[in-house]
Amino acid sequence: MKKKLVSVLLCVAMVATMLVGCGGKSDDSDKEASGGGGNEIYMFISQPEYADAINELIDEYKNVEPDVTINYETTQNDYPTLLKAKLNSGDAPDIFSSTAGKEIEVYKEYSLDLSDQPLMETMLPAVQDTMKDANGEGTYGIAIKGNFFGLLYNKDLFEQAGIDKAPETVEELTNAVKKLKDAGITPFTGGFAEWWVFKHLFQHYAGAAVEDYQSFVAAMESGEDSLNNYPLMKDNFFDFVDLVKENGDAKPLEADLSAEVAAFGSGKAAIMAGQGAWVEADVLKINPDLKIGFTGYPVSDDPEDAKVITGADQALRINKDSKNKDAVLDFINWWYTSDYGISWFTDVAGVVPPVETTAESDFEVIKQGNELVAEKGSGALGVIYSTDSFHTAFGEAMQAYVEGSASKEDTISTIETKWVEIDGSTTE
Amino acid sequence: MGRNKKESFENVLFTIPSIIMVTITIYIPFIMSGFYSLTEWNGISKEPRFIGLENFKTLFSGSSEFVKSLIFTGKYTVLFMIFSNVLAIAVAVALVQKIKTANIMRGMFFIPYIMSMTIVGFIWKFIFSQGFATLFEKTGMEFLNWSWLGERNLAFFAVVFVGVWQSLGFYIVLYIAGLQAVPKDVLEAATVDGATSWKRFFRVTLPLLGPSITTCVFMSLTNAVKVFDIILALTKGGPGGSTYSATLDIYREAFQNNNYGLGSAKSLVFFVIVLVITQVVLKVMNSREVDL
Repeated sequence: MKKKLVSVLLCVAMVATMLVGCGGKSDDSDKEASGGGGNEIYMFISQPEYADAINELIDEYKNVEPDVTINYETTQNDYPTLLKAKLNSGDAPDIFSSTAGKEIEVYKEYSLDLSDQPLMETMLPAVQDTMKDANGEGTYGIAIKGNFFGLLYNKDLFEQAGIDKAPETVEELTNAVKKLKDAGITPFTGGFAEWWVFKHLFQHYAGAAVEDYQSFVAAMESGEDSLNNYPLMKDNFFDFVDLVKENGDAKPLEADLSAEVAAFGSGKAAIMAGQGAWVEADVLKINPDLKIGFTGYPVSDDPEDAKVITGADQALRINKDSKNKDAVLDFINWWYTSDYGISWFTDVAGVVPPVETTAESDFEVIKQGNELVAEKGSGALGVIYSTDSFHTAFGEAMQAYVEGSASKEDTISTIETKWVEIDGSTTE
Repeated sequence: MGRNKKESFENVLFTIPSIIMVTITIYIPFIMSGFYSLTEWNGISKEPRFIGLENFKTLFSGSSEFVKSLIFTGKYTVLFMIFSNVLAIAVAVALVQKIKTANIMRGMFFIPYIMSMTIVGFIWKFIFSQGFATLFEKTGMEFLNWSWLGERNLAFFAVVFVGVWQSLGFYIVLYIAGLQAVPKDVLEAATVDGATSWKRFFRVTLPLLGPSITTCVFMSLTNAVKVFDIILALTKGGPGGSTYSATLDIYREAFQNNNYGLGSAKSLVFFVIVLVITQVVLKVMNSREVDL
């Protein structure tokens, strides 16, 4: 009898501790949220590559506002899934990330319109444009960085092969590839294992083919337009993919970003496709003396079409229902308008500044990119008008094409169907 | 009577902690996904929109990707079950012999099983790309130069191979336990009757392994249909979307394509399919077991 009593008691104790354990936790988090007195900012964002720089920014802000504590968390892997879990469980971060453009609308319900904030004065107009909702209104985010998209090439290898200037037309590119091959140099590294490489490539061709990228995308989403109407997309884009496949990595579909960086950084390949400003630091880690050239894609016979693309493709969003909204707004306004905040972009993070500044960057891609934009203008940042859900499907269709298991016609029709299926339905 | 009542009360009481945990982590989410499967929801907005059976209609009228991923899962499951069980029996038979290093080898076969699937996936991704490339330079063997993760048929076998490699140790352990339980006297009797070692294995040992085989086949079946992490780490469903398993397709639908409702509907359909298959297999296997 005694034994049984003990076991019953133990059992009850177990259940009780479990319930208390669960209950206790929720008490704690309540306290954290309300007891902080509006002085705690919970920042949960992607792009861990800037973790060091952001920690420095936060340390600096401690000197300005000693009472405010910023809890900074970052992850790359599966960020959208984690964010959704947090939003649905009521643990919404005060500052969170999404991509700019199309995804602005998706998270609009949670996101604060920053149009009346002081930071609007310094934010570049090109960046503001990418933060608007589906109706082209409001500013639902800020950018950590602007970005540059284009071709990176190795100036020394080009010289070795006797190429005196960066190719600007399709013909010049074909000749350059021939010369590189004759000199025994692998012309390309493609990174075709990554689905997002294809969206970066495609926007250059689509941007040169259409006047208004956003309405082109809208027409594709409703199934009214077709890639077959544009020779630049139907032929030149696929020709370029073929060119990279035939003159690039030995196993094109296994070459991911790190393989691409390794091939380019170690001088095994002369041209890096599908990348932009973000790879430069990693490439220089492999070879600090590498002479990087940066140029637009030779998409057509007109050298004027070979533009680099600049703009912001990632956004930081402010939680509309944040309990510490004032503290959060103070922080981001300080970030965008104070002297330290503005110089942070170039001096600490080393990114393309999303704010108006005269500071010079040390990075080749940014320097040459700025010159090219001044000379020819920037291409349209087309990737932001579609969701990454669609881009993943787009990348997979292109991978099947590279693999040879789908013809060009099939690939085009798959892409068109996906565009309608995935992105066509999200605008309600 | 009073004693019985008390006992059944105790039985309930002792299971309460686990029932609570299982309810929180499995049953409640299951019922919730049943609800979400009737809605249109992107996983983000605050109000899911109720649309009745619309998701199931889309699913059955033409979701070619889901069908493709089901076929992939089916092929994977069949190959995985065959290879992991046949190989595990073979290795287990070898390892119950009196070899000096048997214990060490058992350990070595078991090590991959205690590693996380994701890590195994990344290790093999590295071996398939960089490791094979270097080996090809050294040996010149042609198959090392194939694009194991970049060509759809090869990628399928690469996934099966890594899956089997990872979980082999687990089935070996189960079979070793089964083999050690086979009574020696029956085997001796067979020897006296003049049975060769082949005959002894197929006529005596294998039938008596029945319960182990049922367990292992059943477990390999359930593990294979749930395959997810290893594919995510190895190929992410590529190249060209050719290695999507059903679970990965559900994940993609719900979390990448932001169709939480449709994803829930898919997972319910998948649940029913798995339920039916496992019940059938279990019935068939149980009816074939022999008793001594």
